[in-house]
Amino acid sequence: MKERNGKKSVHEAMGMEVSRRDFLRTTAVGAAGFAVGSLPFVPFTYGASTPIRIGMIQENTVGATAYGYWLTKVARASVAKLNAEGGISGRKVELVEYDTKVNPAWASSMFKKLILEDKVDFTMGSVHSGVQMAVFPLAEQYKMPYIGGGAMAAGLTGKDAIAYYSRIHTHARMQAAAGWKWGFDNLGKNWTFLVADYAWGHSLAEEFGSRIKAAGGKTQTILAPQNASDFVPFLQKVDPESKVLFTAFLGAPALGVMRQTVELGLHKRLQRYTVICCTDGVGQETVGKESAGAHYLSYYPRYSSQVPKELQAYDKAYRKAIGMTDDAKDASDPKNTATVSHMWTMWTTPYMIKLAVEKSGWKDSKKNADFMKAFNTLKVKAGPWAPQGDLVMRENDHQGFHDHYLEEVQPNLSLKVIARVPKEKLMYDAPVDLRAKL
Amino acid sequence: MASNLAVAVLNGIVWGLIMALIALGLNLIFGLLHIINMAHGALYMLGAVFSWYVIELTGNYWLALIVAPLGVGLVGLALERGLLRTIEDQPLVTIICTFGIMLVLQQLVLTYFGGTARRIALPIPGRFRLFDLQYPVMRIVIAAISAAVMGGLWIFLNRTRYGLWMRAVVQDREMAVALGIPVDQVYMWTFILGSVLAAFSGVLAAPIVSVDFMMGREILIMAFIIVIVGGMGNLWGSVVTAVMISLIHGVGSIFVVPSTATVFSLGFMILVLLVRPQGLFGE
Repeated sequence: MKERNGKKSVHEAMGMEVSRRDFLRTTAVGAAGFAVGSLPFVPFTYGASTPIRIGMIQENTVGATAYGYWLTKVARASVAKLNAEGGISGRKVELVEYDTKVNPAWASSMFKKLILEDKVDFTMGSVHSGVQMAVFPLAEQYKMPYIGGGAMAAGLTGKDAIAYYSRIHTHARMQAAAGWKWGFDNLGKNWTFLVADYAWGHSLAEEFGSRIKAAGGKTQTILAPQNASDFVPFLQKVDPESKVLFTAFLGAPALGVMRQTVELGLHKRLQRYTVICCTDGVGQETVGKESAGAHYLSYYPRYSSQVPKELQAYDKAYRKAIGMTDDAKDASDPKNTATVSHMWTMWTTPYMIKLAVEKSGWKDSKKNADFMKAFNTLKVKAGPWAPQGDLVMRENDHQGFHDHYLEEVQPNLSLKVIARVPKEKLMYDAPVDLRAKL
Repeated sequence: MASNLAVAVLNGIVWGLIMALIALGLNLIFGLLHIINMAHGALYMLGAVFSWYVIELTGNYWLALIVAPLGVGLVGLALERGLLRTIEDQPLVTIICTFGIMLVLQQLVLTYFGGTARRIALPIPGRFRLFDLQYPVMRIVIAAISAAVMGGLWIFLNRTRYGLWMRAVVQDREMAVALGIPVDQVYMWTFILGSVLAAFSGVLAAPIVSVDFMMGREILIMAFIIVIVGGMGNLWGSVVTAVMISLIHGVGSIFVVPSTATVFSLGFMILVLLVRPQGLFGE
């Protein structure tokens, strides 16, 4: 090294001479060591196999966003856990996500993108029955396994069912099977259904109503637009002899109908009953004191204290993994209430995909039919992957069965479980047989 | 039957007066600025959302009724100065621009307020008997406030210098400029006033309905129907039409399914446009 302006270089001062070759060798070895050292530990063999890709469609903007937020959060946590435990058949799992915008046409284009561009192996998601129905033709055309994520129209695994679709959770017919008798015996025999004027609302009114009428009760059905904000014109048509008011709306109208029922004083002569879908993801403090005394049919107790004892350990681990508190709030945002009754589906679905892949020996899309057969014969025991309890799939209609709960809003606005309905009590006859179609 | 009719008429008037406030703001902006403000529903929603925050902080609905519209007025000021002024006299561009503003406001509220609907407690609980049915007192109060605000607006437009300037600009903009009226200022204050009226309606409706980021969407459609039927640019035509359409829907709901009664309102609009394309009170 030459002396510059009479000053010695650092290396000369320290008695070191470094050639260009030494420098390159040292930095190359150092960089390689740093790169290797900084790699995260993953239980996969690099280059051994391609990842398994699960495509997911969810309602993240426009409407049903509380569902989209939580179902996405839970799906990500589930896939992370799956990867931490070795992935599926030793292959890493990747989640590819798109927003449906609650727009069936848009959702279809995103679903097609998942299949053709993102080359996903399996698909799941959406709480919207219309969106799910819109992507059915694509799932059928490309023989793409599609596991639903919260949509409740009975027809999805009934008259509109397709071979490549499965639903692991409840829907209107199962809810009616689970909840009508309790309501009939405990609340009254004369019912008014005030429901949203689309497939889901119709399903609930028909499924509950037909059972009430068959048992000798009386029913009245009032349909209102899903986006209604003033319910007075609808509530004033409630039969004066009705004893039970069953409502079914999502989002803001669900709160509106509940509070306006009280504003008109109807809560004094009517028992109020609904499915938790109406206010899942809405804190009781938000629903307000108007909800005290109302009854909900739910699919997972909102508070950890209300979870059956034998499931509490699984529930605790599940809540921790997804970042949900004991009282169903977002651990990072206490004002954000979880969609507890719906979101467990996105926790269990990736695990059930793993079970079906392993059971069917699935390697690629050539064995999609075998995968579907394996998926629809699964019996998942309560455990870390099934905190909601045992879950049984039915091969005929690709429908899953699980326990339900009846909850009552207490005067302090907490939700108390007053009855548990075992899945065996809500197994209705399969409306279709898809076995020969795979 | 008598009780149903009484509730339908009363409720029709109440909703008509709330809708009239929204439509007035929309019509004011169109009449003077010739802007078809697609963001008007979003400003209504923003009023309700701001009021929710004010009530969370102070617990006072009546304070929110003042503060929230003023806050939305500031948003209106920023929109008028920052965006709409730059695309003045380009109707098509303003439609696209205000539509974009609507989407931006909705998504901002979704991001910070969240997707879950929130509730505002009734500041005046209680109800009174109306034949066999009951009716909430607060709705009557809301109707009275709406009527009072509309009265105030009439006085402002007809008895103040600024109101005179606004009417002058509507009639002949060039002459107004020639007479020394600060047209630029009038435009700005008109947009702010329209925004404040939308927000005020949002705060009034919030305790009845629920507050959520999509609440302005349906209201916007109904507000446009009212403005078109009443006559674009005719403020008081909007008020009469809003009450008429709400009454038609309310009374119609007694005889048919309420969803079908909406067809009556739309049928009324079609009929009016066939007979008087300029609207009931349009010139």
